[in-house]
Amino acid sequence: MILKEVKSTRIGDKYFCVEHKSGLRVFVYTKPGFSSTYAIIGTKYGSINTSFKSCGQNEVTKVPDGIAHYLEHKLFESEDGDAFAKYAKTGACANAYTSFDMTCYLFSCTEKFEESLKILLDLVQSPYFTEANVEKERGIIGQEIKMYDDDPSWRVMFNLLRAMYHNHPIKVDIAGTIESIAQITPDNLYKCYNDFYNPNNMVLCVAGNVKPDDVMRIVDESMKSNDNKVPEGIFPEEPYNVVTDRIEQHFEIAMPTFQLGFKEKVGKTRATDEQIAQTDIILHALASKSSKLYKKLMDENLINDSFGYEYFEGLGYAAVIFSGESSNPDKAAKIIKQAIEELHTNGVSQEDFERAKKLVYGRNVAMLNSSENISNAMMNLAFAGRELFHAIECIANTTLEQVNDRLKQQLDNNNSSLSVVLPMPDKKGI
Amino acid sequence: MEKKLFRCEICKEVNFDVIKDERFKTGRISVTMFLPLNKLTASVYALLPFVLTHSCRKYPDFTSLHQQLATLYGASLFSDVNKIGDMQALTVGVSFLDDKFALEKENLSSQLTQLLCDILFDPLLENGTFKEENVNQEKRQLIELIDSEYNDKRILAKIRCEQLMCKDEKFGISRLGDKNTVSKVTPDNIFEAWKNVLKTARIEIMALGDLDEKSALNVFKSAFAKIKRENIVDCKTQIIKEANEVKEQYDSMDIAQSKLVMGFRTHAALTDPEVMAARVAIALFGATPQSKLFLNVREKLSLCYYCSAKYDRNKGIMMVQSGVEKKNLEKAKAEILNQLEEIKKGNFTEAELDDTKRSLANSYRTIGDFLSGLENFYISQSFDGKFLPPEEFVKNMYNTSREDVINAAAKITLDTVYALVGNEEDAQ
Repeated sequence: MILKEVKSTRIGDKYFCVEHKSGLRVFVYTKPGFSSTYAIIGTKYGSINTSFKSCGQNEVTKVPDGIAHYLEHKLFESEDGDAFAKYAKTGACANAYTSFDMTCYLFSCTEKFEESLKILLDLVQSPYFTEANVEKERGIIGQEIKMYDDDPSWRVMFNLLRAMYHNHPIKVDIAGTIESIAQITPDNLYKCYNDFYNPNNMVLCVAGNVKPDDVMRIVDESMKSNDNKVPEGIFPEEPYNVVTDRIEQHFEIAMPTFQLGFKEKVGKTRATDEQIAQTDIILHALASKSSKLYKKLMDENLINDSFGYEYFEGLGYAAVIFSGESSNPDKAAKIIKQAIEELHTNGVSQEDFERAKKLVYGRNVAMLNSSENISNAMMNLAFAGRELFHAIECIANTTLEQVNDRLKQQLDNNNSSLSVVLPMPDKKGI
Repeated sequence: MEKKLFRCEICKEVNFDVIKDERFKTGRISVTMFLPLNKLTASVYALLPFVLTHSCRKYPDFTSLHQQLATLYGASLFSDVNKIGDMQALTVGVSFLDDKFALEKENLSSQLTQLLCDILFDPLLENGTFKEENVNQEKRQLIELIDSEYNDKRILAKIRCEQLMCKDEKFGISRLGDKNTVSKVTPDNIFEAWKNVLKTARIEIMALGDLDEKSALNVFKSAFAKIKRENIVDCKTQIIKEANEVKEQYDSMDIAQSKLVMGFRTHAALTDPEVMAARVAIALFGATPQSKLFLNVREKLSLCYYCSAKYDRNKGIMMVQSGVEKKNLEKAKAEILNQLEEIKKGNFTEAELDDTKRSLANSYRTIGDFLSGLENFYISQSFDGKFLPPEEFVKNMYNTSREDVINAAAKITLDTVYALVGNEEDAQ
């Protein structure tokens, strides 16, 4: 098994990658002179995978909302104890998260790396679910759900997803609901585990003060092969159109907050590094602090430092989302859409393009300071069929023509939704 | 391995601290200005960094300033206001890509250093004062920032607990001032504040990462040479060693999960010899996934989703925060206090103590891998008389004995209980 070296002459960094015989893809990004090491292993399984066909089966399995997240909580426990207790002996700082399309387990350490890596690889391969331990978790996850229910920035996002998506499971709360988690049992947890936690479906990324050989030795010792094939995700047909152009909720808050999404057409594959670079440049040219749009919104007292934007993209979904606090979200949305219309008419200018390109390039290189950023980025990119250094090259090589071509497929003013979270109607001021 | 910090005094109570480190792809320079927290000045001082970073004489409007930053490869200009002990800390800074990555090898380090100096020393003035429309713009945004703290109930509960606990102390003043006073600030007020800060504040300039530190030092030296420094502020924090009686307040709110915050006086603060023992005791109590709070209040009793303790050594307090259902509030409160008692009684094993130390060592040793982490780490030592690197803390930490930990815990007293109580059912 040969480790492939991938180097960036532009940046001077390099990493090693290989597909292990178990099927696990491994990436090791060496950062000489650093004290800490960050390792993350992820499986391509998240909150959107609530319907799937196990390999060789014809029926569709449906599982309760929030099960991927529940599974993440439960994997920390094995028959021989809790992973946190094991990490306590090696001094590593561990965590995990579930997103729409991935579940990841990670740790950061400054010593005993190999022991910690062994703990990590063991925990994702040792499912242990009993009636008792599944029941115990229900209380804790119930509390987590309630914590997010109180969070206006979380709610404004999920309301937007409900406003944009008719059928796609992207709009389902990642942790599920109190009702849906009541249906989670050891049986359905094992079903999801066996189908999705398969090395063929997983990626390990390590960055920092580490040697590739040390990583591979532990991977060889710990990773068992698995002949199961990865299931086929089943997703309903999703029309191009949004469900509704506006959704509103009231909360006990002082400052209104909004998310404005522009839904896009999607194909069967993910966006490419080239497309991501072009979109990033478009968005910064349109709405960064150096833009006319930002100035107008700021001068009209409609945004503050919380204003941001992102390209929200995954398998079966893609949208540009603007977000922030605003004393008048509807007016802010109107101005953003006017700027978009102007952009479609005039295109991105040479000057705005040059500046945005430098900004996007600079930020992407600066991000490589952090082992945590690198590992998480490499994981995301591996699952999306993209690559880290190639992504940076694409930014450097993007042309104005490409950007203006890409613009034609994005930011459709007639296919957008505004989600607002407003203070309680009778609020008179704090 | 983190590099050594070099410190030199540019002029009275203005220090230039450098950690030159080519492992990083960026450089970072920040200027932190300390002033005593005071109800009369907190609002105008809070506003100052934001007004300064809005524009300057060379880039006289927000857009042209940010266009320049974007052209310099997305450099960031940041501003912030914090509280360290009873001092208000105003920060302005820049973060930028190393010259060698610039596509046309532009000189970023010296341009951004000069820009930071322009922001601080050469602001946009009209008729001898700050421009009214810029001041109004930043006033509006600061008021919205104060409002956004109300949005996040976790933060809101913590702020209210601190305010209640320290209502008769300077520390009880909000780092952002208050909306009413902010709304009345005039351009002349800002101008006076600006002059005052440069003349009298205690100032730490931190230059970190891969940058041209020699030219940065010269740029700041020339800038400060033009300032007549005098009446430098006193940096004193009132430490209340122990609480005599417990204050309690519960506010109802339309939220799904109640937020409980308990404030304690730790006795040990600043550079007291018992500080490290207190830090270890508090970590054992509630700062790791193996801590008493996590294992008992969360895992064993399923009472909270989060329950953790944080030590603020610059004020000598510990805050325990948890998210809990209304019906479990009293139970959670009792269990939190019970777990503290356990540590006071010495009911923890050598293994638990070792695990805690290992976890703390990991945190300290990771600091040197992050520029912002390094900056916060050293800035929090601003009133200690000298800077010590993370490894010194690790050494000190490993020398802490079991008895030290028990003695430190014994001196921790409950001062205040505050909760934002949600609208679920009461306990049966």
